[in-house]
Amino acid sequence: MQSNDVDLVDRLAMALSGGLLLLGVVGTGLVETFDGPPRGAAPVTNDAGQVVAQPTVDPNVRTALVVGALLVLLAYALYRIAVPRVEAGTERATPETQPGD
Amino acid sequence: MGMSYDAATPLRNDVGLELSGPWAAYWVAMLRVLTGWWFFHSGVGKLLDSGLNFGAAGYLQGMSGTTLGPLATFLAGFPDLLGALVPLGETAIGLGLMFGVLVRLASFFGALFMSLFFVGNASFGHGLVNSDLMGLLLFVTMIVFAAGRYYGLDALIERTEFVRNRPRLKYLLG
Repeated sequence: MQSNDVDLVDRLAMALSGGLLLLGVVGTGLVETFDGPPRGAAPVTNDAGQVVAQPTVDPNVRTALVVGALLVLLAYALYRIAVPRVEAGTERATPETQPGD
Repeated sequence: MGMSYDAATPLRNDVGLELSGPWAAYWVAMLRVLTGWWFFHSGVGKLLDSGLNFGAAGYLQGMSGTTLGPLATFLAGFPDLLGALVPLGETAIGLGLMFGVLVRLASFFGALFMSLFFVGNASFGHGLVNSDLMGLLLFVTMIVFAAGRYYGLDALIERTEFVRNRPRLKYLLG
């Protein structure tokens, strides 16, 4: 069984969560990679343990974007639990409910 | 596509737990792009720092005695080739996954890389299921789900006359 329905809330959750995740990992990652060492998200240290190069983008900003993406998915999940969706073909006639106008 | 339901008393409505097609497609694509970025970043970093002279032979030589020892030490016999193929391969695998081109072929080589890392890194202090194995499983997942078909260029490539006349290519695409 699968449903192919998406509504505005699905689209918003996908766009916002995906945007944050891709920005936090790929977008800022491109900046970090091509803007000289470090190419990762941690400072470069020499043999004496001294920091010789700091990341261009603060890793806390990047992890915040990733966590934000997860929180969007959580909010979406809570919304879906609170307001379940009736799938096509499974809805029942409910006399108490007036048809929407 | 009737969407009328009683929002005031949700439990009166059926609660569907079916797989959502659009969400599944979306998430497979997200996994694909992020897995691709992982390898692209690794490959491009090597290219920027050491060009086509990445030193991989020592690592592979150190794998003698492991499960993949024979393969690793065989590969270590070609240090110049490896110095170019490792950074170029990682970059190509990453680009393939991010754009969704030849995803199954790229994922096969990604799984090969990760098999060597899983066995070679041998970071088993917290058990056999570690992030290297998880990365390996992601590449297998890309193959099983034909991840390039979702928001990827393989969806378009598979519709070309060339591929439709050669259906076996779908084992490399998709």
